[in-house]
Amino acid sequence: MSGRKSRAAFRRAVILSAAVLAICSNRTQATGVPIPHGTLELIAEKDWITAGHPFNVALRFELEKGWHVYWVNPGDSGEPPRVTWDLPAGIKAGAIEWPAPRRLGTPTIVDYGYQDGVTLVVPMRADATLSSQNPAQISANIKVLVCREICVPGKAQVSLALPVKPQPPPANSQSTHFFTEARKAWPRPALASWKFFIVQTNDSFVLTANLGRKITDAIFFPLAESQVSNAAPQTLVPTATGFTLTLRKSEQLLKPIARLKGVLVLSGEQPYSIDVPIGKSTEASAKGSG
Amino acid sequence: MKRPTFYLMLVAMIPITMILCAATLLLAAGKVGESAPTFTATASDGKTYKLADYRGKYVVLEWHNNGCPYVGKQYNSGNMQKLQKQWTSKGIVWFTILSSAPGKQGFVTASDENAYIAKMQAAPTAALLDPSGEIGHLYDAKTSPQMVVINPQGVVIYDGAIDDKPTTDLADVPGATNYVSLALEQSMAGKPVATPATRPYGCSVKYPDSSH
Repeated sequence: MSGRKSRAAFRRAVILSAAVLAICSNRTQATGVPIPHGTLELIAEKDWITAGHPFNVALRFELEKGWHVYWVNPGDSGEPPRVTWDLPAGIKAGAIEWPAPRRLGTPTIVDYGYQDGVTLVVPMRADATLSSQNPAQISANIKVLVCREICVPGKAQVSLALPVKPQPPPANSQSTHFFTEARKAWPRPALASWKFFIVQTNDSFVLTANLGRKITDAIFFPLAESQVSNAAPQTLVPTATGFTLTLRKSEQLLKPIARLKGVLVLSGEQPYSIDVPIGKSTEASAKGSG
Repeated sequence: MKRPTFYLMLVAMIPITMILCAATLLLAAGKVGESAPTFTATASDGKTYKLADYRGKYVVLEWHNNGCPYVGKQYNSGNMQKLQKQWTSKGIVWFTILSSAPGKQGFVTASDENAYIAKMQAAPTAALLDPSGEIGHLYDAKTSPQMVVINPQGVVIYDGAIDDKPTTDLADVPGATNYVSLALEQSMAGKPVATPATRPYGCSVKYPDSSH
């Protein structure tokens, strides 16, 4: 081989290697670690973080078709993903922002979760004292139960090195769309003009909602376990200004509760958070309205 | 019994079982403070067990599925076997109940179950075969390992989780509060059961698809 030819070949090899490296480095950024029947990835909403400012990261579960993970209240079986953060000094993790779940399972055993995948956003806070010398190493240890017909427990560690810079990051990054999508399924506060109240009978909570319009389809997801029977049908009666929804009490509800907190999903709308005080037991009037 | 007759009977039993299942769903399931629904079942040891025969004794019901990781946690740690030995040695009747439908996770034949009991050194009084899910539905069992405790008067005094650690981690067994032992101890001491109902964590019971 002549010198010129070998130099040309070398140049081509260098270019090719660089191209391969570029593809690989992109890929490492976008690839998750394996979990049973899926992958898990830790992503950041922006390209870097700034001392003294909040930022968002997310645990992105991608699951094989038909497999699911659980909501904070898993329902009759299963358990929610559990995360333990390993964070540098100066960074603190907030609570998971749980998107509204779906009802999963059979007519007699009902779970609450996310089929095929979910993005769980976690707000974080960077102290003003956070040094911008080194990237912030954010790690999470996850325990997760992945189920379809059967359940498989898994453990994973995911991490992310986020540069710390004095200037704010650009509004968009490669991952922005995951966060935008996740937010669409977040429960938002119920409108101030809406009125809710709950009366209880021996075996049910009757939720009356006054939203100023007739509602023909609504599902309530109780935030806490063991308050509402998961499998019992939720009986909706539309009214001129909203609806009443009868929720059977859980068999495990042994002490009276003062409020019922949860997520209300109206067909085709963004979910709402509601937190409704429970009125005194008024068997007769509850029966009348329900 | 001759084989063809057996299969004929099995086929004939399917619609009957389905009707029974639908009927039991309409009835109130076994609830804490109420009479334990009675049942008759064939066990892996080939014998027939009637709940009614054990009036006067404490009875523990344990919903089982050998493929469920929550059940695996209790058996691989030796905790379930320890409980079975501890309580049956005190005269308590312990029924492991197998409500998985044929073809589903946890379904076992009598000989499969006997091999499992031998291998795991499990010590229930008997392992009841409930492939139709009838006993499971009678008690509205949601998960394995769901646990029910029945007192000598035939009243359900506990229904729910085995302990207060709803995980699949073996490491969580030693520090857990066992609700079954607590219910038995409190009841035997003449005290009310402080925690009579909890969320029965675990894997969903694998009922037949038709038993809605």
